[in-house]
Amino acid sequence: MRIATDIGGTFTDLVSIDENNGCMVNQKSHTTPPNFEHGVLDVIKKSELSPKSIDTFIHGTTTIINALTERKGGKTGLITTKGFRDVLEIARCNRPDLFNLVFHKPEPFIPRYLRQEVAGRMTYKGKEAEPLNIEDINAAVTYFKEQEVESIGICYINSYANDEHEHKTAEIIRSLWPEVFITTSSTVTREWREFERTSTVALNSYVMPTASSYLNNLSEKLEGIGFKGKSYIMQSNGGTTTFDQAKQAPVNMVESGPVAGVYGAAILGQIIGEDNLIAFDVGGTTAKCSLVDNGEVKVTTEYRIERTDSYAGYPIMSPVVDIVEIGNGGGSIAWIDEAGSLRVGPESAGALPGPVAYGIGGTKPTTTDACLLTGCLSADNFDNLVDLDAVKDAVVKNVGEPLGLNANEAAMGIIRVAESNMYNALKLISIRRGYDPREFTMVAFGGGGPMHCASLARELNIKKIVVPVAASVFAAWGMLMTDLRHDYIRTHISPLAEAPVKEINDIWQGMQEQAEKQFSDEGIPVAQMICQYYVDMRYIGQEHTVKVSVPTVPLKEEDKEVIKQRFHEAHEQAYTFRLPNSGVEIVNYHFVGNGGLTRPKLQKISPQTSDTEDAKISVRPVCFNESGWLDTPVYNRSKLGSGAKFSGPVVIEEKSSSTVIYPGQNVNVDQYGNLIITEEAE
Amino acid sequence: MTKIINSVTLDIVKDSLIAIGNEVFYSFARTSMSPIIYETLDYACGIADSDGHLLTQGNGACGFIGLISPMIQAVIDKFGKENIKPGDVYMINDPYMGGGSHLSDIGMMMPVFYNGEIIAFLGNKAHWSDVGGMAAGSFTTDSTEVFQEGLRFSGVKLMDSGEICQPIVDMIKSNVRFPVAAEGDMWGQIASLRTGSKRIIELCEKYEAGTVRESMRRLLDQGEIVARKRLSECANGTWEMEEYMDDDGYGNPVLIKVKVTITDDEFIADYSGSSPQVVSPINTGYTSLCAGAKIVYMSIIDPELVINDGVFRPLRVITEPGSILECNAPAPTSCYFESMLYAADVLWKAMAPVFPEYLGAGHMLSVCAVVLAGNHQDTGVPFLIVEPTGGGWGASAAKDGEVGQFCVGDGETYNVPVEMAETRYGIMIDEYSLHTDGAGCGRFRGGSGSVRKYRAMSDNQSFTASFGRNKYPAWGTAGGKDGSYNYFEIFRADGTHEGPMGITARAVLNTNDVVNMVTCTGGGYGDPLKRDVNRVASDVRNGYITLAQAKKDYGVDVDPVTFEAVRKEEN
Repeated sequence: MRIATDIGGTFTDLVSIDENNGCMVNQKSHTTPPNFEHGVLDVIKKSELSPKSIDTFIHGTTTIINALTERKGGKTGLITTKGFRDVLEIARCNRPDLFNLVFHKPEPFIPRYLRQEVAGRMTYKGKEAEPLNIEDINAAVTYFKEQEVESIGICYINSYANDEHEHKTAEIIRSLWPEVFITTSSTVTREWREFERTSTVALNSYVMPTASSYLNNLSEKLEGIGFKGKSYIMQSNGGTTTFDQAKQAPVNMVESGPVAGVYGAAILGQIIGEDNLIAFDVGGTTAKCSLVDNGEVKVTTEYRIERTDSYAGYPIMSPVVDIVEIGNGGGSIAWIDEAGSLRVGPESAGALPGPVAYGIGGTKPTTTDACLLTGCLSADNFDNLVDLDAVKDAVVKNVGEPLGLNANEAAMGIIRVAESNMYNALKLISIRRGYDPREFTMVAFGGGGPMHCASLARELNIKKIVVPVAASVFAAWGMLMTDLRHDYIRTHISPLAEAPVKEINDIWQGMQEQAEKQFSDEGIPVAQMICQYYVDMRYIGQEHTVKVSVPTVPLKEEDKEVIKQRFHEAHEQAYTFRLPNSGVEIVNYHFVGNGGLTRPKLQKISPQTSDTEDAKISVRPVCFNESGWLDTPVYNRSKLGSGAKFSGPVVIEEKSSSTVIYPGQNVNVDQYGNLIITEEAE
Repeated sequence: MTKIINSVTLDIVKDSLIAIGNEVFYSFARTSMSPIIYETLDYACGIADSDGHLLTQGNGACGFIGLISPMIQAVIDKFGKENIKPGDVYMINDPYMGGGSHLSDIGMMMPVFYNGEIIAFLGNKAHWSDVGGMAAGSFTTDSTEVFQEGLRFSGVKLMDSGEICQPIVDMIKSNVRFPVAAEGDMWGQIASLRTGSKRIIELCEKYEAGTVRESMRRLLDQGEIVARKRLSECANGTWEMEEYMDDDGYGNPVLIKVKVTITDDEFIADYSGSSPQVVSPINTGYTSLCAGAKIVYMSIIDPELVINDGVFRPLRVITEPGSILECNAPAPTSCYFESMLYAADVLWKAMAPVFPEYLGAGHMLSVCAVVLAGNHQDTGVPFLIVEPTGGGWGASAAKDGEVGQFCVGDGETYNVPVEMAETRYGIMIDEYSLHTDGAGCGRFRGGSGSVRKYRAMSDNQSFTASFGRNKYPAWGTAGGKDGSYNYFEIFRADGTHEGPMGITARAVLNTNDVVNMVTCTGGGYGDPLKRDVNRVASDVRNGYITLAQAKKDYGVDVDPVTFEAVRKEEN
């Protein structure tokens, strides 16, 4: 038995699969801050699964991001190169809030008095320019002991090129003070840019005590109920790691939950034979989208927590699945701005007070409320008794009256603006990055994804949409399907043409050995490991890089030409042009190791034998973009078998979600129960 | 039903126009060959309607605010709209024409045609690393005429109906120091204009030209509505302020003067009476002066508004031709940002008591621009640094000033990481830290400036810098004390020392000479004796101020071990 538990803001979800018969179980229970592990035990208990029968436990958690955003980490000290303790505070000098002359700059996680300097210097080439001063380290340790810090981060200038000084420093600290948590920058990342690396170290050190106590507690509790299997945690790179490794680099777990859905989309794509996917996830407060290119989830190291259009945020340089997230979900509030324009989000009614339709105190109209009025959602599919008059009043009062519209027109306006925001986000991850949406299949999930996907896919000319089974808990399903994954990135700049092949292969070799060690520590046989090799490249003189996959390792001289061609293509795709006569150089080496674990098989559903009329709930008027109001049949998804087919307009309802299919679109249920929506042949 | 589709559709098209503005902005940065563009984002892209009114502008640096539309208008005036053809691209960097700043900022504009008619114009403006002239990096501190500052394009056709005018490109490449980068950036700018044009045409195809035009009108009108509404809520009145900016480079004082008038529907900044133009390159043209005023105006009206000409309709900027703020040819303008930022600063200082919620005490003010040229010690390859330096910002009514930030004329501008600088340039950086001189005391304290030390790793490097605010400190307000000054100094390998100073042109640095660049602490806000005692203790613990300063400036005794703090009773 394999189970995944995903702690969200409101609910802790569980999805399990029995590898013997493919049988799946879903369950939800309340999230229990601050002792999140209680919620995990609750949901296991509620699912009635026997803890002894669980072989693999996979966990996604918001504990780390919460500890960071709520500033509830441990007291942390930082050691830097002499002359550079303020790098963390100066940051990059940028001011995204351009015209706000009383803007707030992010305050460092580690205050100045807890940042100590140590003499010793490496050059950009990794040569020692000045030896490490041991006295300075001893003094820093003594001071940190007096200050009673719990965790120490170390980040030296140019340590991406040579990390000896960091290792030596960590060794000395460990010998003087074995109990203290230690992070060196080179264990978290070996990319250049000292501020971003220092910030990553600071954040990692800061959450280490929290991560450790949380994971230790959880392990103990799980053992307490008889669990004896292997446990893994979901990382931001779309793969998992063991609890032990996670305690060393907790900062790799910041986006633990959200990335699972994207990974799930990639896996679902493999199962149904689709390589190019757009994952589209609409939850209560946000919509997220991400692109899967040729079966690969895209990762970036340009992630920042708390970043907004007007706030610089804090960089974390570890690989995070590249997701565009906007403040538009089911609970997003519609409002009229000062100039008289209709806006939706980013403010959300959340779970409390929630949309007006929930009847628990919400008075501001949300996207969910608008969808009720246009017939996309049915009041009967809510857990509570919906007061439709209250919904209508809220929409009229807040949107209709200021714009001179009636309730239905205002509701349609809200949906159009919300979908326009989502449309721009979807364009951002596809067209704007040089991808043609026509070549992609959309996987729509989360509570709201299935509702908006048909209209958005049509706008983007996407030909095919998949709405997976149990769409609202799809992220937890994705987690079930994950594999161990570790990324190793190293900055080493060399012009491709001149770089000796041996030097390149030595770098790969070094990373490979590091990966082999890490995987064997996690109990994965080296032979089972699946390796991928990438380089970040650019034209000489440029700053920004493009990621290119490397055909084979060890590399031969003639492979360079292949890499160069791939780079030209990738550059043209991303930036519309290539410079065939310009030199190209490698900036970063990126090695990805996967554990090669076998994935559970999906269960097929039984074929549709009876008349689909049996699954029909009702016929109701639904308002569609362009076509206006149409009488639309509504079906119960759980009663449909594989092979069932409909032509739009049609609505297919399930628990906590509802799929809206437009006129001119067809939908059929595939062998696994996925809804496949396609445009009618023209 | 029709009506809602209209009002909502107009908003959707409007948002799409803004999204296009952002797209062309970021796509350009990512392909640029010049660090000043891709790290410092010293450029702007804008979309204007068919009459040249700015609809939306993507900004990296505030100093470019509103420069795009005057540039487009200057080209329309020169050539006549009827003579502008699809696929034309025009180039303009004339400091005395619309949209001018200094020659290094190359402007380009292109018409967008739909169904045979101009539906919009696109423009961008970017700081090229070099445009020729007397000094590497083109901008220098000792030019006396514009002719020494590089190539000047007073509205020149670069592409004719989609065909590149090769003689112009050849001429550029023969006259600049980094022809590859120049050509790369030229094509980057053209590509970004083309991308924007393609997107606008797509928008017209999807929503029809009439709807797009109507949305453009709505965008401008809405900007104006919000701006006028805000003005009507402000106190009416007239305020005056004058300040000396450092000097003219020859020791003579330079006066910047403003009279601000706010009525129910106008905001007038009258700079009459400011000094006449000077022989050193700190003069600015009129549109850059306006940019300075617009920054402060925006901060008061609404910092979050989309930048467009509708928002600026209520603003009027008055000055006298021939003055340092509206210079005539051939006055040099390399360091035009010094007078432009002083003009912004006097306006800021005049308004600070009126709008304490939006404007705090004085900041580091100057770009503190550094130009360093030489050859890399390991590769021998020539390098060129053109970069701003971060400094302290002033405190305000609700918080301490921010530390180590670029000046108001910059914005979403990034410093060059130490590790990249050491790889790319022939220097090692000995120190990058906060300048904790404890100046700018107040109930809220001014933010610290920064200290950046460059060690030359090869001989014959050439160092040029313009650190304004080297004579008059960042001002305090509401009882807060003044901050400090910007300066730099050179420590020679032989033990000699030069400086401190604020301006130099092409000082030679040899191996192991170190230049120490220090920026000021911002001004304080409010009475220092009212600063929270615990904050004073924390300031001492963190080394922002000394024990002695705590006692003398804040009247607080802090225990150096326990950091317990007590304010002495006032006698």
